[in-house]
Amino acid sequence: MTETTERTGRDDTIALKVTDLKKHYADAERNVFDGISFEVPKGKVLVIVGPSGSGKSTLLRAIAGLEPIQGGTIALDGTVIETGRPGNEKSGRVKRSEELRTKFGMVFQSYDLFPNKDVLGNITMAPLLVQKRKKDEVEREALELLERVHLADRAHAKPHELSGGQRQRVAICRALILHPEILLLDEITAALDPEMVHEVLEVVVELADAGQTMLIVTHEMSFARAIADRVILLADGRIEERSADAEEFFTHPKTERAREFLHSFDFVRHRDAQAERELREFDAQ
Amino acid sequence: MQGANILLEPGVFPRLLQGLWVTIWIAAVSVALSVPVGLVCGWLMTLRNPVIRFVMRVYLDFIRIMPQLALLFIAYYGIARAWNWNLDATGACVLVFILWGGAELGDLTRGALQSIPEVQHETAYMLGLSNWQAFIHVILPQAVRRLLPGSVNLATRIVKTTSLAVLLGVVEVIKVGQQIIDANRFQYPTGTLWVYGVIFLMYFIVCWPLSLVAHALEKRWAND
Ligand SMILES: Nc1ncnc2c1ncn2[C@@H]1O[C@H](COP(=O)(O)OP(=O)(O)O)[C@@H](O)[C@H]1O
Ligand SMILES: [Mg+2]
Repeated sequence: MTETTERTGRDDTIALKVTDLKKHYADAERNVFDGISFEVPKGKVLVIVGPSGSGKSTLLRAIAGLEPIQGGTIALDGTVIETGRPGNEKSGRVKRSEELRTKFGMVFQSYDLFPNKDVLGNITMAPLLVQKRKKDEVEREALELLERVHLADRAHAKPHELSGGQRQRVAICRALILHPEILLLDEITAALDPEMVHEVLEVVVELADAGQTMLIVTHEMSFARAIADRVILLADGRIEERSADAEEFFTHPKTERAREFLHSFDFVRHRDAQAERELREFDAQ
Repeated sequence: MQGANILLEPGVFPRLLQGLWVTIWIAAVSVALSVPVGLVCGWLMTLRNPVIRFVMRVYLDFIRIMPQLALLFIAYYGIARAWNWNLDATGACVLVFILWGGAELGDLTRGALQSIPEVQHETAYMLGLSNWQAFIHVILPQAVRRLLPGSVNLATRIVKTTSLAVLLGVVEVIKVGQQIIDANRFQYPTGTLWVYGVIFLMYFIVCWPLSLVAHALEKRWAND
């Protein structure tokens, strides 16, 4: 892949740069995106919020190479890794080198651990098979990661023996052990029981503090507010508002669209004691 | 109760066991070779290539539409003679059962492979696994678990269907039973029921452990 890509000559503080991205699903009436651009600086967290159906998952999947793009470019670390071309709607997952794929870590909303492997097996599979690292070294690192997410004692549990919150924390470890340039998180707490949301988001906050570059889609507004360096509001496949000051975005949004969107959450938040408590916890950090 | 004594005639039991051995041999070889054939067929059936799809479709439908007996006759009297193959009756049986088992297991495999959620493929891709690594380490192990109940059922059907080999003149357990009954027709007029009763038990003893093993594995993998 690297032979055919070109240096963009941009500063090396940008981890991910998406330029004029166009995405069209086969048989769909209109484009999901008609040219959107943004960048994620190294070590920073970009949070994408927006109503359901606005294209958040599609955006993450396109960046991850799971969906072909029909226009624009995706650059990682200043190197264009993908250029969209029209007419490739049906071509499936993008052909990327194994090495390039490991530079993107992804955690999905649905639990996606491999059910045929235990926790350790899930985490060590890719470093052993893809990166050909030594087994004892990989296992040591896996256990360290599990320690960080408070699951060291579950290393030999099967996924079905874990709670949803535990599974998502293992999925995070599985992505982290490959040392991805950027971590893509798509509503990773959306399928969880409310009492498990916090244990997962706490881990993500710790990652952000440790300087992990992340692109996060979430409906947890208090979490978004606490963790975001930058925020994008996506609606109908367009960036309706972007802000380099998350606090500003959540307290004084500039656009009517953002005000409406945030208001819909305020309503829920005031009625939901659980959300209130979480807000205080994240605000305290 | 008189008829029961037919079972005590010298040589009856050893001969039945010999027949059973032929049955088990045909079934075991057929099932064992059906597994690789079935896995490959199942994988081919999941491919998008229209030519491969069509060929596999025709193969599966042909095997399903034809009665096994017709397949046996085609293999033994038709193909083997036409091409001058040196295929004996047992060989023809094994060939037909492999073609049949491979097709049916292929269809089961296709179903199991396609039932694995897309996100499992996607996760493997994100982790950098090659298509082959994803298939071997992620998709296939999960598919095998889902495949198991259906394939044990199929194996049981193959064991039972080996009885058709009689009609090609293979001396398997049913044939031995008939010979014993014929030879003792005057001495034990009511022996028939007893001989077939024993044969029934023998089939049961072969098939039952299969479903026990399947049951145990299913339980172990229930939540995976
Ligand atoms: N595989 C697909 N094929 C066709 N349309 C799709 C597909 N996936 C998503 N869409 C459409 O694309 C739009 C954006 O969807 P999505 O990215 O899932 O939004 P979000 O994650 O923000 O809820 C929606 O209108 C959805 O219906
Ligand atoms: Mg989504």
